[in-house]
Amino acid sequence: MMAELISIAGKAVKSVTKFGATHCDVLVTNTRTLSADIEKGSVKQASMANDPGVAIRAFRNGSSGFAYCTGHDAKSIDRAASLAASQAKAGTPDSDFKGLPEKATPAKVGGLFEPKVADLGSDDVVGMVMELAAIAGDDKRIYSSNASVNISVCEVALANSNGVEMTQKMSSHDMVAESVAKDGSDMFSGFDFYSSRRFNADALREVGESARDHAIKGLSQTKIETGDYPVVMDPLALGFLLANAVGAGVNADSVQRKRSYLAGKLGEKVGASLFSVTDDPTIEWAVGSTAFDGEGTPARKKAVIDKGKLSSYLYDSYTAGKDSVQSTGNASRGGSAWSYRSPPSISISNLVVHEGRSTFDQMVRETKNGVYLRATFDHPNLATGEFSGLMMESYKIDDGELGPSIRQATIGVGLVDMFNSIDMVGKGHKDCFGVRTPAIRISKARIGGSA
Amino acid sequence: MEDLARKTIDHAVKAGARFADLRMESSTGTNIVVMDGKTKTVTAQIEAGCGVRAFIGGAWGFAVTNELSPGSLKTAAESAVKMAKVAQAKAKIKFDIKAGKSVVKTDEYPCREKPTEIPVEEKLKFVLSKDKAMRARDKRIVSTNARYDDFEGVRVVANSFGTAVTTKETWTLGACSAWAKSDGVMQRGHASVGNVGGHELMSTADAVGLGEEAAEMAIRLLDSKPVPAGKFTCILDQKMTGLMAHEAFGHACEADAILAGASVLEGRVGEVVASEEVSLIDDPTVESTFGYFKYDWEGVKASKHMLIDKGVLKGFMHNIETSSRMGSTPNGSSRAQAFNSPPIIRMSNTYIGGGSWKKDELIEELKDGLLIQGAQYGYVEPAKGQFMFKCDEAYAVKNGEVGERYRDASLSGVILEVLKNVRGVANDFILGDPGYCGKGGQSARTTDGGPHICISDVVVGGLA
Repeated sequence: MMAELISIAGKAVKSVTKFGATHCDVLVTNTRTLSADIEKGSVKQASMANDPGVAIRAFRNGSSGFAYCTGHDAKSIDRAASLAASQAKAGTPDSDFKGLPEKATPAKVGGLFEPKVADLGSDDVVGMVMELAAIAGDDKRIYSSNASVNISVCEVALANSNGVEMTQKMSSHDMVAESVAKDGSDMFSGFDFYSSRRFNADALREVGESARDHAIKGLSQTKIETGDYPVVMDPLALGFLLANAVGAGVNADSVQRKRSYLAGKLGEKVGASLFSVTDDPTIEWAVGSTAFDGEGTPARKKAVIDKGKLSSYLYDSYTAGKDSVQSTGNASRGGSAWSYRSPPSISISNLVVHEGRSTFDQMVRETKNGVYLRATFDHPNLATGEFSGLMMESYKIDDGELGPSIRQATIGVGLVDMFNSIDMVGKGHKDCFGVRTPAIRISKARIGGSA
Repeated sequence: MEDLARKTIDHAVKAGARFADLRMESSTGTNIVVMDGKTKTVTAQIEAGCGVRAFIGGAWGFAVTNELSPGSLKTAAESAVKMAKVAQAKAKIKFDIKAGKSVVKTDEYPCREKPTEIPVEEKLKFVLSKDKAMRARDKRIVSTNARYDDFEGVRVVANSFGTAVTTKETWTLGACSAWAKSDGVMQRGHASVGNVGGHELMSTADAVGLGEEAAEMAIRLLDSKPVPAGKFTCILDQKMTGLMAHEAFGHACEADAILAGASVLEGRVGEVVASEEVSLIDDPTVESTFGYFKYDWEGVKASKHMLIDKGVLKGFMHNIETSSRMGSTPNGSSRAQAFNSPPIIRMSNTYIGGGSWKKDELIEELKDGLLIQGAQYGYVEPAKGQFMFKCDEAYAVKNGEVGERYRDASLSGVILEVLKNVRGVANDFILGDPGYCGKGGQSARTTDGGPHICISDVVVGGLA
């Protein structure tokens, strides 16, 4: 199959060149997905999809045109090639474009594909989601459990006009569970998820129990007064926040356009010395791992924040050319499965927050009057570097003890202030939203409360 | 396509589906992004494919093919039935789909200038002019982003009741973002227009002024401070009222959330859930809106849904399944992002109806609080009963006078309390900006709106 995909890609490169492109790259993908969903404890849907497609990017005088088509038939690919070339011709010349990646050897990265995932059938996926929902619903206080399990196998072939020809096969296994607990008119939901390139039967129990336990824990609720509090941040909340605050903040395109609060801060202190972050696409079985990026640059690990100092931005070939540096290999075509439906764009692979020495219990025990934030889904303002959002799931900490969940409260903090106020970094980690991170504690954030 | 669709449904029924439906599509689209005076990407999309759903005794199977050949479609139909059988064998909750009437119709969205007939150079000229307008507005504008999207496609929805609805859909969207910087402070302004229809929409006054609107907002926000955190009485402008209607209540009224046991509104139809001044409506039939459609993605004719009438919860948004299970009728609320996603219940144009107050009277009555303007985004967890939405700008109101400007306030509330805390509804109703709503990994074009409203006990998140 890989030989067939790379042959399609190679032919398409020739076709785009024939239509007048000076540079081009072609991605050919074939993704097979199986999924199953549970609604209120009962199997609701089983799905399968085969999604072949081709993405073509053409350049002319530095101007970029992009076209994609569903399927692999020659007629559609030729039409897409023609469109990509004509779109490039229509665009404005761009002297900042210095060329696409040259031929290179992909990085050796283990754990991109597990044959066992490819061998799973619809019965297996349905069986897994049933087990997950059963665990998530295993308590008389749980009113409803909803769950999904998804597996995919994605084959990609990438070729460009510099002779790059690379292929790889990636697998993924994802699951999510939501438990809804009820006590009289009080209601609360807990959720958790797992995502990896490897099949992991043990994850069913961990995810199901976590969703169930948080739903029950959240039934006991309190309010909080507006004020400044230390905050223990769960990997779930921190991963979502850092994917944007650091991941998007160090995007070289945003930096070059001066849209990021981290522009002009390279080499400067932006966080506490116990805060270090790397971008690492070479981690075995992590969903953002890859042997090469979406343009064909070999994958490599790089420090982003080193002991509080901003040490690198994330580049693709265009932004690297503009800054006269090497691409960091962060041109992304998607996470666990690559997509042909959009052009490559700069993104984190696996952002890794370095672990510390504190246990979660220590962080709570050493917090006199504070907050444990488990989940928020808000985006920071990258221009100002300010963050304000809802604490969707949070708990009061009183005298070092974890208390009831906090109802209707918000958090506000400047991002650099937040990074500088990290005073405890946890042991262990969880992969959340492309970020592998432990829990951390920050000494102060503004909490808006309803008490 | 209709003939292929009918044959595919026949295959699914022959293979054992109790009910089957499909969405077969062929479409093209354009996306142009200009940044700082240069084209970033000029994208063309060519999509074709079909998603087939099969239902057997309480469970669904869903299969997708990217190839519209008889052989591929037959395989997809058989795969959907196979998946349904696998799911049904393990399903604990058994139910049936109530037989429905067949609908055989063709609908074409109004469109004067088909995007496929407009040269890409002309579309690009429009985007470059918006980008230029932003940069020309003020020397403090340091970065710009102008965007144009269009979509033109044919969708056939067919099912085993005999339904075959063909929709020729066209929509266009333009959007601008401007970043302004002064004295080390950076702010972003944005503006967008979008509607069903063709390229003619890019000649409207709103579209022509997009660049200036975004740039002016960025400049205005340079003179703003972080909002204080705490509990406030707030007046929301029309855009924020719309966003709140959508996030705070709309999602909890989707019947799939009710059946999943994941909405705090379960069992509350007929109860008072809002102030008597509040009526909440979702209406896909409002013409010339981004959320418009005439037939939903299950082939059901769209209709206006009165969700709250004068404070009383009246009902939910339904699809064929939820209406079958809850003894209701499907009301045209089923939508799929594209052929490769199964249809789920979605909002369209969601709004709170107009009231009797004048905006100035609301501000006078408020005395002390916040005036909240412009919508960024929001989200909700209906099972937790909490929601959040973020505004563009806020103003302090003191002694009934509008004063200091704040930025980036996030507002949070509790679904079952927020609409009961409405103290006044103004008479200045408008439907707001076009937007996209995300749910279950799918995106749907929507519009929100309403009048200015005054709400007490809103928790505002801020840095001060």
